[in-house]
Amino acid sequence: MQRRTLLEFGVSWSLLQTSAQAQDRQRAAPLRIGLTAVILADQAAFLTRWSDYLGSRMGVAVVFVARESYQNILDLLLTDQLDAAWICGYPFVLHQSRLQLLATPLFNNRPFYQSYLIGQQGKQGLLSGWSNLRNQVLAYSDPLSNSGWLVAQAQLRAVGLTPRDLRRSFFAHGHRNVAEAVASGLAQAGCIDGYVWETMQLQKMAAVEQTVVLWRSDWYAFPPMVAKRNDNNPALWALGEALQSMTKDEQGASLLRALNLTGFAKPDAALFEPIKALAASVNMIRA
Amino acid sequence: MLPRLPYRIQIPMGLVLAVILSVLLVSVVAAQISARSARLEIVSTVQRIVDLLVAQGKPLLAQDDTWRAFTLLRNTAALLPQTGKGQSRAALLDAQGRFLAGSDPLRLPTGEQALGVLINGRLLPTTSDAARPINLTTPDGGMTLVEPIRSDDNQVIGFVFAEVDAAVFAPDWAALSTPALIGAALAIIVLVPLGWLLGRRMARPIAQTADCIAQIGRTDPVQLQLLLPQLQDPELDRIAGAVRQLLIETSAAKANEKRALSAERLAAVGRITAAVAHEINNPLAGLITATRTLRLHGDAPDTRDRSLDLIERGLQQIRTMTTALLPQAKVEDRCLTPDDMQDILTLARATAVQHAVAISSELVQQFELCVPSTVFRQVMLNLLLNAIKAAGQAGQVHASLSADAHKVNMVILNTGRHLSDDRLQRRLTTDDGNDPNGFGLWICHEFAVRYGGGFTAALAGDIPRPFTTRLSFWLPNLTHHDPQKTAVD
Repeated sequence: MQRRTLLEFGVSWSLLQTSAQAQDRQRAAPLRIGLTAVILADQAAFLTRWSDYLGSRMGVAVVFVARESYQNILDLLLTDQLDAAWICGYPFVLHQSRLQLLATPLFNNRPFYQSYLIGQQGKQGLLSGWSNLRNQVLAYSDPLSNSGWLVAQAQLRAVGLTPRDLRRSFFAHGHRNVAEAVASGLAQAGCIDGYVWETMQLQKMAAVEQTVVLWRSDWYAFPPMVAKRNDNNPALWALGEALQSMTKDEQGASLLRALNLTGFAKPDAALFEPIKALAASVNMIRA
Repeated sequence: MLPRLPYRIQIPMGLVLAVILSVLLVSVVAAQISARSARLEIVSTVQRIVDLLVAQGKPLLAQDDTWRAFTLLRNTAALLPQTGKGQSRAALLDAQGRFLAGSDPLRLPTGEQALGVLINGRLLPTTSDAARPINLTTPDGGMTLVEPIRSDDNQVIGFVFAEVDAAVFAPDWAALSTPALIGAALAIIVLVPLGWLLGRRMARPIAQTADCIAQIGRTDPVQLQLLLPQLQDPELDRIAGAVRQLLIETSAAKANEKRALSAERLAAVGRITAAVAHEINNPLAGLITATRTLRLHGDAPDTRDRSLDLIERGLQQIRTMTTALLPQAKVEDRCLTPDDMQDILTLARATAVQHAVAISSELVQQFELCVPSTVFRQVMLNLLLNAIKAAGQAGQVHASLSADAHKVNMVILNTGRHLSDDRLQRRLTTDDGNDPNGFGLWICHEFAVRYGGGFTAALAGDIPRPFTTRLSFWLPNLTHHDPQKTAVD
C-alpha cells in the first residue's frame, strides 16, 4: 500500500514537473506573428521596433514572420507554425470557421479600406476603367487578396469581361509589386489595396508616383489580425490588448504613423459580411 | 599662314599639329581594334546572360509567372551592355513565341507575339525555326539572339530573347580619345615651350643674318661681317656665307666708289681751277686794256683816275670771285652802285667790239642797290660776256639794271639762239665741267641760291624783238628790310 502510494506520488510528481516545464517553455517561446502584403512588411528596422514594442507590452517576445504569399501565411497559421497573422479579409471569410479575430486596424479612424484599379500615369485616356480592359494586361496582387483579386473578379464580371478577354493577367505576389508592374508597363492596369497605395504615395515611392487611380471600390473591412480559433494562448489576448493600446503612448502612436494607421479596434466579424457576399457573388464561397 | 609666322611659333605649332595628327591616327586605329574586340566581348557576355536566363527562366515558364520572370529579366538585363540607355534588352517568350515578360515592357510588351513578326524593325524567326539557337546580325550591326528553353523531356516550353542595338558596338570615341587627348595635352604642354626654345634657337642665326642684311648700306661692311654668326648648319652656313660674300663685294665696291669719288673730286678741282682761270682772265683782260689806256692816255688826269679806278675794281672783282669760290669764306662787301654797271659795260665793250656786238644798257633805280657789289658785278660781267658770245657776230645785247623795294634785278637780253629756262636749268644741273659758259652760269645760279635770289630764263614769247634770250638775275634788296645793314655776307 505504501509502496503503491509512493509510486503514485512519484508518478504524479513527475507529471507535475513535466507540466511545469512545458508551461515554462511555452512562456519563454516568442509569439510568432505572420505578415502578408496587406502592409509594407519589408521594412526590417520598423518590424524590429514594432516587435520590441509589443514584446515589452506583452511580456512575451514577438517575432514577425513575413511571407510573400497569403496562402503561405495561412498554411503556417493553420498548421500551428504561427500564433497569429495579419491576413486579408478574403482568406478570413474563406476560413472563418477556423480563425478568430484579434484586432481590426483603423485606417483614417475607420476599420475599412478600398480596392483600387490603377493605371499608368498619363495614359488615362487609353484606359479609364474596367470596361477598357479588353486585350490589356492586368496585374493582380494575390489569389487570396480581396482588393487585389476578389474585387477585380466581381468588377470584370460586372462589365461583362472574362479573364480570357484580357491579353494576359498575372499575380505580382504583393500589392507593392502591382504598383511596380503597372509603373514599368509590364501591365496596363493593376488591382491594389487602396491602403497600401496610399501608404506608398505617402512615402513617395517611385512606382506609385507613375500610377494613377482609375477606380475605387466600395468600403470593405480592413485586413484583420487573426489567430487560430480555440487557441487559448494568453499571449494572444495580450497581443490584442497591446495592439488596441498603441494609441495610448507616444511610441505606439509613432509606430502607427509609420504604418499609416490610426489604431487598432476590437474586432467585429460582422464587418466582413460584404467580403463574404462578394466572394459568394463570384462563386468563390458558399454564402 | 603658318609660313608667315616666326620659327619660334612655327616649330611648336608644327609639333602640336604632328601630335594631334598622331593622336587622331592612333585613335582611329585603336577604335577599329577596340570595336572588333568589344563586339566579341559583347557577344560573349550576351550569350552568357542568355544561358543564365535559359536556366533561371525554365521554372518561371513552367509556372507562367510573369512577375518573377520580369524581376529576373530586370535584374539580369542590367548585365547587358548599355541597358540603361535602352540599347539592349531581353525577354522570356512562352511556347507560342509571345512575350511572357520583357526587361523593357514598353518595347517588349507582355502577351504580344514576338516570334515570326517584326520586333523593333527586325523579323524574328518563327517558333519552329527558333527550336535551335539563332543569332541574327542586322544590317546595321545589331544582334538578336533567340534560344529555346526545353523541359526535362526536351519539349520547347519557351524562349529567351536578347537584343543588342548596333549603337552598343559602335566605338566609344569619348573613352578611346580621352587618354589619347590627355596624352596629347601633356605632350603639347611639354612640346610648346620646348618647340618655342628650339624655334628661337634656330631662328637666332637667321635673325642675326637678317639684321646684317638689313644694315647693309648703313653700316660698315667690315663691321657687319663681324656680326654674322658662325654656323654649323650647312644650309644656314650657305646663307651666311652668301651674305658674307655680299659684304665683301660691297666693301670692295665702296672702296672703288671712294676711289672714283676721289678721282672725280680731283677732276672737279681741275675743272674749277680752269674755270677760275677763265673767270679771272676776263677782268685781267679789262685790266690790261686799262693799263694800255693808262700808258697811252695817262697824262690826262681824268683818264688816269678812271683807269686806276678801273684797275682797282677789277682787282677787287678778282679777289671777291676767288673768295666766293670758298663756300666758308666770309667776305665783306659794299653795296652796288650805278658806277659798277658802267664798269662792267666798259669791261665788256672790248669783247663786244671784237664780235661786233652792239651793247645797250638801262638803269631803273627807284631804291638803293643794296646788294653785294662784288657778287653782282661778277654776275653782271658773266652774263654780259656770255650774252655777247651767244649773240654772235653783229648781234645785239641789252643790259638792264633795276631796283625796287624788294630786289635788285639784272636782265640781259641778246639775239642769237634762244635759251629756254628748261635748257638753262639742265645746263645748271649738268655735270659738265668742261663748259666754261656753263660754269659761269652755274656760278650765277650758286650766287642766287646762296643770297636768296633767283636766276631764270624767260619764255620765247615773253622776249621783246629782236632779242631771243632773256636771262634775269636778282638778289633781295636789303635796304628795304634792314636799312642799317650793309651788304655784308
